Amino acid sequence: MPVQQERIEEHRITAEPYYLPRGEELEIARMVYAHRLPLLLKGPTGCGKTRFMEYLAWELERPLVTVSCHDDLTTGDLVGRYLIRGGEAVWMDGPLSLAVRAGAICYLDEIVEARKDTTVVIHPLADDRRELPVEKLGELLTAPPEFMLAVSYNPGYQSVLKDLKQSTRQRFVALEFDYPAAEFETEIVAREAGLDEGTARNLVKVATMTRGLKDSGLQEGASTRLLIHAGKLIKGGIAPRTACRVAVCAPLSDEPEMLAALEEIVSSVF
Amino acid sequence: MPTTLNRDEKVTWKSATTAGQALLEELAYWGKDDYLERLAAYPEPVREEVLRLAAAIWPVSYALGYNFLDQVDKGLSCLAPEQLAEWVKATLDVYEREGLQAATRYLAEVEDNFLCRLRGEHGLSLTAATSRLLPYLRGLAGGELALAPAPVSWTDGETIFLPPEISLFKQSVANFTVYKLLATFQWGLLKLGTLTGDLAMFPGLAKELINRYGRQPAGEEPFPADFCSLFPAPRQAADLLMLLESQRVLRYLQQQLPGLMRDSLPVCRRLQSRRPAPASLRGPSRVLEAWSRWVLTGEGEAGEGLGPEEKKLYRQGLLLLAAAGEPGEDAAAPVQGGGAGQQEGGVGQSLELTAGLYQLLAELSGDYERIEPLLGILRPAAVQAVRLRRREERRQRFVEALGAFLPPEAATSATTDEEAGPVTGGAPPPPDSEGLAMLIGRSGEGDEEREPPAAEGAPEYLVIGGREFKLPEEIQALAREIQNDLGRVPPRYLSAAVGQAGGSAIRGPGPAAGSDGEESLVGPLVYDEWDYRRQGFRKDWCKLLPKELAPVQSTFVSSTLARYRGSLHQLKRQFEMMRLQQRHLRRQRDGDEIDFDAVVESLADAQAGVSPTEKLFIRLDRDERNIAAVFLVDMSSSTEGWVSLSLKEALALMCEALEVLGDRYAIYGFSGMRRQRSEFYHVKHLDEPYSDLVRGRLAAINPREYTRMGPPIRHVTKLLTAVDARVRLLITLSDGKPEDYDDYKGDYAIEDTRHALIEARAAGVHPFAITIDRQAQDYIPHLYGAVSYCFIDDVRKLPLRLPGIYRTLTT
Repeated sequence: MPVQQERIEEHRITAEPYYLPRGEELEIARMVYAHRLPLLLKGPTGCGKTRFMEYLAWELERPLVTVSCHDDLTTGDLVGRYLIRGGEAVWMDGPLSLAVRAGAICYLDEIVEARKDTTVVIHPLADDRRELPVEKLGELLTAPPEFMLAVSYNPGYQSVLKDLKQSTRQRFVALEFDYPAAEFETEIVAREAGLDEGTARNLVKVATMTRGLKDSGLQEGASTRLLIHAGKLIKGGIAPRTACRVAVCAPLSDEPEMLAALEEIVSSVF
Repeated sequence: MPTTLNRDEKVTWKSATTAGQALLEELAYWGKDDYLERLAAYPEPVREEVLRLAAAIWPVSYALGYNFLDQVDKGLSCLAPEQLAEWVKATLDVYEREGLQAATRYLAEVEDNFLCRLRGEHGLSLTAATSRLLPYLRGLAGGELALAPAPVSWTDGETIFLPPEISLFKQSVANFTVYKLLATFQWGLLKLGTLTGDLAMFPGLAKELINRYGRQPAGEEPFPADFCSLFPAPRQAADLLMLLESQRVLRYLQQQLPGLMRDSLPVCRRLQSRRPAPASLRGPSRVLEAWSRWVLTGEGEAGEGLGPEEKKLYRQGLLLLAAAGEPGEDAAAPVQGGGAGQQEGGVGQSLELTAGLYQLLAELSGDYERIEPLLGILRPAAVQAVRLRRREERRQRFVEALGAFLPPEAATSATTDEEAGPVTGGAPPPPDSEGLAMLIGRSGEGDEEREPPAAEGAPEYLVIGGREFKLPEEIQALAREIQNDLGRVPPRYLSAAVGQAGGSAIRGPGPAAGSDGEESLVGPLVYDEWDYRRQGFRKDWCKLLPKELAPVQSTFVSSTLARYRGSLHQLKRQFEMMRLQQRHLRRQRDGDEIDFDAVVESLADAQAGVSPTEKLFIRLDRDERNIAAVFLVDMSSSTEGWVSLSLKEALALMCEALEVLGDRYAIYGFSGMRRQRSEFYHVKHLDEPYSDLVRGRLAAINPREYTRMGPPIRHVTKLLTAVDARVRLLITLSDGKPEDYDDYKGDYAIEDTRHALIEARAAGVHPFAITIDRQAQDYIPHLYGAVSYCFIDDVRKLPLRLPGIYRTLTT
């Protein structure tokens, strides 16, 4: 199947992604992989979950198939379907079957966004059976030892409709992610945005303060990702206050009062 | 006199008033033709008014009069002629207060000065600044700090007091920066440990000062007042210390919050310009004032206005001031680093420098008169009071919790009392003393090597009479807090707790103890209550009484809807969108549209020899929102006033929105007194239509008695589990802590409520708590779980926030 060979190669990560370990997460993930267990990454948005997966895939030398889940995601979208090509029906693997066949790492990002009936397909993959039934083909794919399933979700969501079912969550080894400690985060922001350490530290300072506002009406504090965005703008020559306003404050909230407070935070640091 | 007017001049008109005419002649006499020309250009009534006002200024100051005529064009460009008089009056006020220069400037900046005042923009009140300042401050401090008004800014460690109004600048933006600087400065004092130092940590310096001045520290005074009392002039020492600490804090802020300090430069300059000139002061005050000015802006190294001798002292002092906070302050320390109080460059250094500056000033004769506070003042006594109050609260909680946790036999096996143990000496009891209560970090194997109690590490076990008790998490946390405060858990805390051992009934105030015995209650609606200290239920403990709220004839609902007319429209649209947002269900057996993807797939399947599916349609499904929501409303007396009103308004809007959406919902209120009478008021049942009766009951919601939250939560959980719905939602609306008249308060009430919510979750109900409080309390995340609560600090926002919250919850 030359077509598919090519496709899985697209998912291979060739250059080492930048990832700064904060604790034992890499050791744990390696162990989880060695024991063929599925992995659940919990944490707020933009704190490095996806980057961690990229790094892990690179280190394990496995292709990484990432699926961003949404509420229209059907089983067919994951597993695959027949398509008509030139009057003939051709089977197209979905990302999940693709990863299973190739022994890749399949990473379902924001799994809670997927419909619950879709989430169920991963159940047999996520326990010791490690198999994926492809009903249309009448095939039962058994995952090779190299295959790994990883999912992520953000427990900060407050919608009662978006929660992970116990039957799903109790299949995973869960790694909790949070924003990195200040000195790590400074290093990350400096490195990713190409900034000097001082500016990066100031960005982190702003973020730390916004995270302190969670009880005062802010749903979530500024993520590392936002800081990197702001950092890139600053690096590109935008004034720091403006960069923070557009890349940190405005994305965080629409409430005028909260925005004002956020801008006060920014203007006290920059 | 008209006759004296030079007829050769271009002025061919006269003023209607004698004063005006005199002025015209004066101008003509001095050859001020351009003024006359300009005046001539005005329409008659305006000209008369200008002349009248100019004539009024003339006797006060010629210069100002000419200035007025210079600026009157500009004034007329933004003022109506009848406002001129007001403008001139304000200008003369400024002249009298601040002199010609200020008045001239005032005239020139008519737009900024006078118009702003007319528009009410002259100052910024703390109330107006709070909505912006408080979240900023909380973000900065990473925790709870409150704001309150006071004439001078200071802090007691919990609240930062700031002036009720700031009118240093004409623009409110600039005044806000003043607030921001003052508040941040107070935070800096807290952060850098100015108020939490301890004289005992600097014995060398204290001894030296005692030797030098022969005064003993006033033992009762809190830090740093005890330090200042070592000097012959304690007030002067206190002001010097504050000066040094100001310098240290400003330096720290410069480092940590450079943006703020850059913005604050004009503020500091303005503050400086408001201070009395050093020349107007005498003796030590004069030099101290000069130093203060330097600390504020870093300007004036030369020491203007000082005598030659003073200048020398002044410069020597600057060297000391410049050293304040210099080394040791780790630039890499993140904002939340904390605990900078004791290290190099900390408050200890400021103490030494205070002594140095004090000696410098000793060379000057004259008494010290207090100078104006720089950016705020220290109130060590108030800080101490807060600290003591917190300490006492912790002690009570610890003793109560530990006493309830220990089994009764602990009391008998322990011989601990004040006399038996060597507790009076303050030394920890030796580990081998049988029968003494002590806390240890870890249950170790090598018992001989046990650390003395609370030396370091968190205490986890309590040893009494050779028996070890593993302490629950809450008590451990309390013990840690006490340790952080006092360095150890004092033995008398332990003995007091052991004395109360086995007191499983909480000794609450009030007459509850007698009538509120241990007997179980009977009835259909009797609920258990969770006792966290015994980690078990009190069986059949609370009786719930369902009650009807008598509907009242009131225009409450309709007037609420009228008041929120604008927002309501938007609200309804949002909720309508949620209904319409109903996804097209793909791959249905029947439906309104053909699912093209499914058709293609089935064709492909057919080609491939797989039996094709028949689910080829898309259907718009509206029944998918199968949600049953119960709103549980706090009707305790503490909601009296605004809270209750806003709660009702919020519910009225919520009902409108939900009627549009079509979700099933119920509203119940709760209040009551003691466990025998937990009242549960019906406003609307789940499947009851939103009728006038419901509106009447909604209007009848009013504050009643206490807040025992456990029973109503358990009851609603029971109601909801009986309902067939995909999602069951329990939304509680309350203010502050749960509390009842009897022993239902503090940790006990919080733990029971928490447990009731956990039970609800276990039963498949999604609880969500909305808490209205002036500030978020520490216990809230613990009580409601990290993500399923929302905190509202301004109750007036609730009516519009509630539907928003519901929307976030259910989409």
